Amino acid sequence: MLLVTILAGIHGGPERGALVAFWAGLLYDSITTAPLGLHALVFPSIAMAVSSLERRMLRNTLVTDALGVAAAVATGSAAVVAVGEIFGQASFDPGTLGERILISALLTTAVAAPVNRVVAWAAAAGLPVTIELRRDQN
Amino acid sequence: MAAPRPAERPRHTLLILAAAALTLLTLQFRGVEPLDAFQQGVRDILSPVRSVVDRVTDPVRTVWDGIFDYGDLRGENERLQTELARMRGESLTAEADDELLERLLGEVDIAYTDLETVVVRILGTPPGNFTTHIVEIDKGSDDGLAEGQPVVTGAGLVGRLEQVDRARSIVRLATHPDFRVGVRLVDSQDEGLARGTGDQDVLVLDAGIRADASVSVGEVVTTSGGRSLFPADIPVGRVSDSDNDTEFRRTIVVELAAGLENLSFLNVVIGAPGLGEGR
Repeated sequence: MLLVTILAGIHGGPERGALVAFWAGLLYDSITTAPLGLHALVFPSIAMAVSSLERRMLRNTLVTDALGVAAAVATGSAAVVAVGEIFGQASFDPGTLGERILISALLTTAVAAPVNRVVAWAAAAGLPVTIELRRDQN
Repeated sequence: MAAPRPAERPRHTLLILAAAALTLLTLQFRGVEPLDAFQQGVRDILSPVRSVVDRVTDPVRTVWDGIFDYGDLRGENERLQTELARMRGESLTAEADDELLERLLGEVDIAYTDLETVVVRILGTPPGNFTTHIVEIDKGSDDGLAEGQPVVTGAGLVGRLEQVDRARSIVRLATHPDFRVGVRLVDSQDEGLARGTGDQDVLVLDAGIRADASVSVGEVVTTSGGRSLFPADIPVGRVSDSDNDTEFRRTIVVELAAGLENLSFLNVVIGAPGLGEGR
């Protein structure tokens, strides 16, 4: 779900990305033991941050994209743990935090390519065609 | 690259979504019933999908465990070999031990073996980020399980049911930092509230116990019953540190009788007098 959030931020823009991220977080909360709203609180910020950074990138390559996704997953995982701690989620072993973040970042990046196509297709659907407005010079 | 939508107000959207999420969290922590029902409904709907995914990904997980947990598995194998050798030696005296146990249970009036239970299989750790000290089991409300019911093994208390869906449930283990159980020290008959600490196989008894209570190392600890969620006289463990020298706040360490590592099957206590009446 975090990967969907990140890719929705990249392909859907900040607003649409945040909306997709909210529902993705809510679904994730529903199927796990986390309190309802915890991931839904964190994911939209991640989507918006990713979207904002992606727009500032001058040049995208496969390597920078992969590194970006890995960094976003690591940041998102750490943010979820931090917010969970604030809301009293004691079921987390701080000793394995670094290990878990690293493994989830690597694994998620490894499966990002096929998911990316699906999210890109879904995020682009229904977007209005960009209209170029030009002022009359005369 | 995303095409910007006209009149996008991402910051406003983010604020609204954050407010919605915080509202949901607040309602959840205040125990609003429809939210729990919603979560349970979603989990029930997705349960068959999860079963298929678990089955499909099982070989991958096995390979993963084989690669990354090889050292642990080897250590575990050696430990089990040692345990097997020890048990073979002990089986010679098993009959005498059984007699001793029956006598002990009779002396302390423990009706532990008479409780009505449902046998459940551990499926593993549930998905999610906050899954330490909890396990998922293969039975739910369709099998008569309900939230709060005690979970035990033949050796004693393991935890309690935290979340019950139709076909699956989540068990909060006794070592969970939020786990609380009312306990009684069998010799001294002192009672107190024990809690999990996040450490393996250990509870801490530091509330409700008198600072001058006479407690000895090795003393048997059972559930106290009464207003507790747990019925009385379920074995919990033995005192491993009695903290006799304290002058202010007593912190007694209890080693759990039931080892919480490498469990496969558990018993959920569904029938016991007064079960579920307390907190």
